Amino acid sequence: MNSAAGNNAAQAKGRILVVDDDPNAVEILSRMLGREGYTCVSASSGASGLDALKSELVDVILLDVMMPEMDGLEVCERLRADEKLRRIPVILLTAKDDMETRSRGMALGVSEYLTKPINRRELFTRIDAQLHARAIDRQLSKTAEAVADPSKKSS
Amino acid sequence: MRLQWPGPPVSFLTHFWRAMEPFLVKGTHPVMEKILNICQRVAVTDSTVLVAGESGTGKELIARFIHAHSRRSSNPFIAVNCGAIPPDLLESEMFGHERGAFTGAVGSRMGLFQLANGGTIFLDEIGEMTAALQVKLLRVLQEREIRPVGADRTIKVDVRVIAASNRDLATEVEKGRFREDLFYRLQVIPITVPPLRERRSDIPILVQHFLDKHNQQRPGQLVRIAEDAMVHLWEYDWPGNVRELENLIERMVILSEDGTIRVDSLPPNIRSFISDKKIPRPTLTDEGIDLNQAVEEFEYRLIDEALRRTKGNKQAAARLLGLKRTTLVAKLRRKGTGSAQGYVI
Ligand SMILES: Nc1ncnc2c1ncn2[C@@H]1O[C@H](COP(=O)(O)OP(=O)(O)OP(=O)(O)O)[C@@H](O)[C@H]1O
Ligand SMILES: [Mg+2]
Repeated sequence: MNSAAGNNAAQAKGRILVVDDDPNAVEILSRMLGREGYTCVSASSGASGLDALKSELVDVILLDVMMPEMDGLEVCERLRADEKLRRIPVILLTAKDDMETRSRGMALGVSEYLTKPINRRELFTRIDAQLHARAIDRQLSKTAEAVADPSKKSS
Repeated sequence: MRLQWPGPPVSFLTHFWRAMEPFLVKGTHPVMEKILNICQRVAVTDSTVLVAGESGTGKELIARFIHAHSRRSSNPFIAVNCGAIPPDLLESEMFGHERGAFTGAVGSRMGLFQLANGGTIFLDEIGEMTAALQVKLLRVLQEREIRPVGADRTIKVDVRVIAASNRDLATEVEKGRFREDLFYRLQVIPITVPPLRERRSDIPILVQHFLDKHNQQRPGQLVRIAEDAMVHLWEYDWPGNVRELENLIERMVILSEDGTIRVDSLPPNIRSFISDKKIPRPTLTDEGIDLNQAVEEFEYRLIDEALRRTKGNKQAAARLLGLKRTTLVAKLRRKGTGSAQGYVI
């Protein structure tokens, strides 16, 4: 379950992809997540984020909304259309606190919506919630295997 | 149908009728899809299933779904809340008793396992079972036979067992409060249902489902929900999970005056949850908090919010905060380059 943040910073908690066009934000987020025990991968645009996902397996994506060229919502749309990527939870980080962006994020199946400035405790809680769901998902995969393969069942 | 104590066991007919109800488990979140897929495949077997998850996540619904999709569906589904029946009565409730087995046992009585014969028994809050009863249940699972209290004979039963717990049973085992052998017997097929806040994409689907359901049960104007109210429900954390959501929608449908659920009509706890998310209310934990830091954090949050709303216009932001512009500038200088405690970007 969500072990208290910072208990064991040495032990990797999960791989997080940070996508933000503001290098400052990427830098701060990566350092902070790293200190907290998460493994961090970053990208400075929507396109390079999608590109990174071709080779990187990540547990959660932290995605900025306002980015030039391809904005965060468009990145989400592309993720949803991709059979391999559609299950990765997305946490939208945005300075845009308007109803329309929220509503579009909701329609795109976004997992969380956080408004900048971001509170670190809040951010960790939301990431951990998604990691918890991922852990449940992995356990369910094992269960699914056991159901498919009756030899693994004991009774 | 939930067996509450005190009260007689529910009639066969009720169970039968209940089993015929469609058990719709709604949700398209990948985890829910996986759960439904497992349920469908496990329904055709007789394997014991252990459903875990917070209160209100749908554990009982899942048990009913499995039963309804099994070859047992025309036989009873019996739910026993092990936490709601006094421990000294639970054994005779489950396995029945002979006449004179204990004071007050004037006649012999069938237990719920026998009533569930050919069907499914749902053992809810299994973690509440006493150690003595855990041993007996283990035997039942191994031997597929029960022994009524006070009896020297055993009775064969053909019952599929689905257990549920909102406590983490693995932890209970570690702490010595739950038998390890029973735990492994039960969790042949473990299914954990994540809390609603970990699968928010199901919220709009469930809201619509419950709106349809409760609209149907009420004649007259159909109640709909405004988009911004839906977004509020989507962002809320739902500590009571799907049950809390359904109760709210039912109440909103009944109370609705003009046929639309709006943000203003949502309960204050939900509305303040959303505004607290933007400006969190500091809570005092057992470890205590640093008051100065908390106050500073609160202050910076409001300043940030004011600057955001005024698109960085310090004069206007200061006015919103009831400060002089110079005071705001001084505070900002102290705050430095966005490195206020707790705020990262
Ligand atoms: N996925 C779902 N789709 C539709 N209805 C649901 C879903 N999940 C839960 N519900 C409804 O929410 C309510 C609570 O579900 P249920 O009683 O199964 O929860 P539970 O996990 O057994 O809770 P507790 O631990 O408190 O007993 C029920 O009315 C159920 O029908
Ligand atoms: Mg229940």
